[in-house]
Amino acid sequence: MDSLAGLPPKDVLVLHGPTKLLVDKFLWHSPQVGIVASYTATERDVKDHFGIVRGVDQVESFTQATAGACNVFFECIKMGCSPLELVDKFLPRFIGIGQVNFHYYLEKGDTFVNIGHIKFNKFRQVVCDGRIYKTPKGLNLDEYFGNFNEERLLAYDLSPDFTLVAELQDITCRAIKKELFNKQAEQ
Amino acid sequence: MERQEIIDGLVEILKTVRTINPEKLVGITEDTDFIKDLNTPSTEMINIVAKTEQKFGVEFDDDDIDDLGSKVRNVVDLIVKAKQSA
Repeated sequence: MDSLAGLPPKDVLVLHGPTKLLVDKFLWHSPQVGIVASYTATERDVKDHFGIVRGVDQVESFTQATAGACNVFFECIKMGCSPLELVDKFLPRFIGIGQVNFHYYLEKGDTFVNIGHIKFNKFRQVVCDGRIYKTPKGLNLDEYFGNFNEERLLAYDLSPDFTLVAELQDITCRAIKKELFNKQAEQ
Repeated sequence: MERQEIIDGLVEILKTVRTINPEKLVGITEDTDFIKDLNTPSTEMINIVAKTEQKFGVEFDDDDIDDLGSKVRNVVDLIVKAKQSA
């Protein structure tokens, strides 16, 4: 596994069931730098919430797509195993959110990209900063991000028809050993 | 390296942590608890340990950090162990 680009998110974020997985596609990934992943809001995502995607679900989508997925990637590389094999040993833990600012909204059918930059990766903890952008209707995202690069990711260099939806800082995930999780639960 | 020397080095690191009240760093002992006594956020613990690696020129295993307790003594022990096995 050289990168997550092109892998089905359900095969990477294997513990997230279909109703909770908020990533459709990993579009671009440079393991030491960052990742781009897309999601299209469904009827379920806007239900009972005046027709727009909740902020908390945007944060969840971003976290799954960036710190969560990159953490899985790093552990798989270190341990020489698949995401499915990690499930026996580790649980993903969402442990921190820094500043989050929302600038725009997302409706059913809107596709957005999570663009995450890896700030820290050590001791099974990954911290990402990044942004969420609503993508232009009808844009072929595979094609658009096919020749993306690290400089463009770090500069959020996108065409002007992308709409900034949210800025997120210090999104932190950690993989913890299952035995420690059970120990903590007992305390 | 003496244990007190390690504690002094740790205090220098802790002074750089925005979320820790500097007044609480006076009189730190091996029994001081990062979380209970210094109110260190759990996310910050990993950063402190990463800075510790740099300051003391050691490298810790992921497993060492998983099992790390929250007292200053635990970090001092970890540094001593890493120094010995270096």
